[in-house]
Parts: sequence; structure tokens; C-alpha cells
Amino acid sequence: MTDPYKVLGISQTASDDEVKRAYRELAKKYHPDNYVDNPLADLAQEKMKEINEAYDTITRSRKNGGSAGSAGYTGGYSSGYSGGSAYQRANPAYAQIRSAINAGNLQYAEQLLDSCPTRDAEWNFLMGSLYYKKGWLDDARSFFQRAVNMEPSNGEYRQALSMVSGNNSPYRQTGYGPPAGQGGCDMCDMCTAMMCANMMCGGCR
Amino acid sequence: MFGYVRPRAEELKIRDFERFRACYCGLCHELGRLYGLPGRSILNYDFVFLSMLLWEEENCGYCFRRCLPGLFRKKCVCASAKPLTTAAGYSVILAYWKARDNLADSRGIKRLAAKAACFWLGRAYKKAAKAHPGFDSNVRERLRALSELEAGNVESLDRPADQFALLLAYAASEADEPSRRALEQLLYHVGRTIYIADAWNDLGDDLKSGSYNPVARRFKLTSQDAPEDVKESVRQTLNSSVNLAAAAFELLPVSCWRPVTENIIYLGIPQMINDVLAGTYRAPGRRIPTRPELGQNGE
Repeated sequence: MTDPYKVLGISQTASDDEVKRAYRELAKKYHPDNYVDNPLADLAQEKMKEINEAYDTITRSRKNGGSAGSAGYTGGYSSGYSGGSAYQRANPAYAQIRSAINAGNLQYAEQLLDSCPTRDAEWNFLMGSLYYKKGWLDDARSFFQRAVNMEPSNGEYRQALSMVSGNNSPYRQTGYGPPAGQGGCDMCDMCTAMMCANMMCGGCR
Repeated sequence: MFGYVRPRAEELKIRDFERFRACYCGLCHELGRLYGLPGRSILNYDFVFLSMLLWEEENCGYCFRRCLPGLFRKKCVCASAKPLTTAAGYSVILAYWKARDNLADSRGIKRLAAKAACFWLGRAYKKAAKAHPGFDSNVRERLRALSELEAGNVESLDRPADQFALLLAYAASEADEPSRRALEQLLYHVGRTIYIADAWNDLGDDLKSGSYNPVARRFKLTSQDAPEDVKESVRQTLNSSVNLAAAAFELLPVSCWRPVTENIIYLGIPQMINDVLAGTYRAPGRRIPTRPELGQNGE
């Protein structure tokens, strides 16, 4: 078995706090949310498992072999599209296409999609998912956009559209800050919020 | 269309910067050793990045070498290693086929220049193609598909970008299994980013000369000043590619180049995208990278 300390990237002499911090940092990096619909989701899941095991091993051994239970992160990889009851009303071929896309069988999925007679919202959504898996992000966005336009109330379609728009960057490693002004809560925002709150409290007197 | 993938030097630690420079010089010496002066003349940053990604050993060896810019003081450079050999061969093959492509596309004085470039690289190419036959046929096939798409004036942005991205992603094929997939996705999206950024950069020239430009075609642009919403969608699609590249990067094993490659992906490429879209991008010169002076931090 690999050295659990090496997996977490820390030395054997690290304090409990350091272990926890390293674990949290890595868990954030490989969190399933960062790999939604990513063709590499399975690799990230394996990595997550490895990290969880390493953390468990360390905490257990530090408690002198006591049964420390699993303190690890237990977020599920509910991979891809559920394709469940909600979609049964639609074309039965769609369920097949969904599972083909999830399994990474993109050629087959494309064939099925091409042979579909109707071009409804879900068809556009599936086409977008197919292109997203291929890495054709611009085409994927056009299809997601069309799906949302046809059925604006569908949360799944809207989520896919916002994902491919690249606004929700999953995880930024380096702390230097991105070059462009991107939104976020920094110290200034907090100060301003405090000042506003203070003024309002004063005004209520 | 090379040189887009660079680190932000002012954000690197000095030791990491020196290492990066050693790799740059190492690739140059490797090109010189294997392919002579024609090889050295095509050195570029993108293949320095590739050789760092292909590095599997935990560490790299260094040696001291003299070269024309460093005639009086020997420089510390990376000693010859497999990733450098591979990157050197690949860059010669790609440069040669790009020159052949130009030869077919251009007329007049430009055609003469392309002909000279083909001749200049000819012998080096033969040697490189013999050493890397797989990459050679891959490049040939992809560039042919690309020129077919260009000739067909295809309206999609992703279709031509896909060919160029696959061309680059092939470089992952020699890596071992779990990391091969991650490396492939990383290279695919870096290639896609380079292709689209380069198309945006060439927008003005292409519109003037009336030649094919995927961005102009996709968004039906007729002048260089693209409307804000077009710019925004190009930015978004590039950002998504960078995000996917970064997600793949995190799944690669950690090598000694990590601080540099991390900087390139999280800071260098986003900076390049911003500069290209703002129209302030400048292609790198042909000099050994120098450390930025104090107070000149690129802001």
C-alpha cells in the first residue's frame, strides 16, 4: 500500500491540523462537483477514494488503533444523467442515448441521435451533452441554449448551459488571483457590507 | 501559430523560473544536437510545455553548456532526456508540415519564403519522421482534414479546432494508462485553446486578405471589431476549455515541473486569453526568457 502521508502530500511529522488541512484542500480539488460530466470523472473518483483512505488510515493510527470510523468525505458521485422516471414520458430512445453517453460510447449515441425523427428540447440537450463529452464546447453551448429556449423551466438544461458557459470555474489552485476582475467576496466587500449594516442599525435608532 | 503557452514569469519562484529557462535551453540544445541549426530555428514555448508534461522521472539532470546568446558564460541547461527528444522531434515534424501547408496556400513572395522553409527543414524532417512515424502520419492526416474543412468553408468553430486539438492530443499516446487519458484531455483542450486564440488573433489579417478564419465564419463577422457578445462567447468557450484542461491536469502525477506547469495552466493561459481578446497580445521574441525586473510585473 502507498504511504498515506505521501498521498496527502505531507510529512510524517505533520500536526493533526496540518493533516486535516491537507485533506480538505485535496478533497476540494477532487470534489465530484468539479468533474460533473467530465470524461475523467472516474479517475477523480479513484483519487478521492485514495485520499479518503489515506486520511482514515492516518487518523486511525494516530488514535492508537482505536476504531475511528470513516471521517472522510462521503459525497456521492451520482454520475451523469439520472434518466429516471421523469424522462419516461419522452421518447424511449432517449434513455438509451443517455446511457450510451454516460458509458462514453459517443459514436453509438451520435448514430441514435441522428436517427431520431423529432428535434425537441431533450434532443437538443442530449446533442449538447454529446458534444460536451467530445470537448466541442462551442457547439455544445448552442445546443444547450436551444434546449433552454424550448423548455425554459427545465432545471437540468439550465444547469448544463451555465456549466458550459465556463462561468463557474471549478477550482482555482493558485492564490494570486485571476488576471481578470472576477466576482467574489474579498475583504473590501466584507467591509462595505459591515459599513452598510452599521449605517442601517444607526438609522433604526 | 506557436508560442501561446507561456508561464507568467513574475508569479514564478526564482528557482522555478531558472528551471523553466533550463528546460527551454535544454530543448534548444536537444534540437541542435539532433537536427542542427534548422532544428534550433523552430524552438518555441509550446513544445517546452509539452516536454515538461511528458516528464515522468521525479527529477531532471543538469549540465553546463555554451551557446550563441550565452557565449561568454556557460548556462545551466537540462541534460538530454527522453521527453526533450520527443518534443524536439514533434516540433520539427509539425513545423515542416506547417511550412508545406503554407506552400500550398500562398502565392508570390510568400510562396517563395514557404519553399525556402521547406527546403531548410527538409533534412531535419526526414530524420524526425523516421524517429516518430506515428506522430508524422497523425500530423499529416490532421492537417489534411483541417485544410479540407477550410476549403469547405465550414461554419462550425469546433470542427476545425477538433482536428488541431487531436493533433496535439496524440502526443499523450506514449504515456501509461491512467495518466494517458488525463494527459490526452489536457492536451486536447490546450490545443483547442491555441487554435481558437490564434484564429481570433488573425481575424484582422484574414478578413483583409479574404482567407478562411473559423471565428469570422462561425459568428459571421465582417470587421475586426467584433461585438461584445461575440467576444463574450469566445471568452466563455475558451474558459471552459481551460477549466477542463485544469481538471485533467490535477489528475496527472506530480513531477518536478509542477510549479511551472501549474503556473502555465492557471495563470499563463488565462492571461494569454485575456490579452488576445483585448487585442494586446504580443508574440514572444526569440530570446532566452529573462526574469522580469522589479516593478515590471505585467500589470
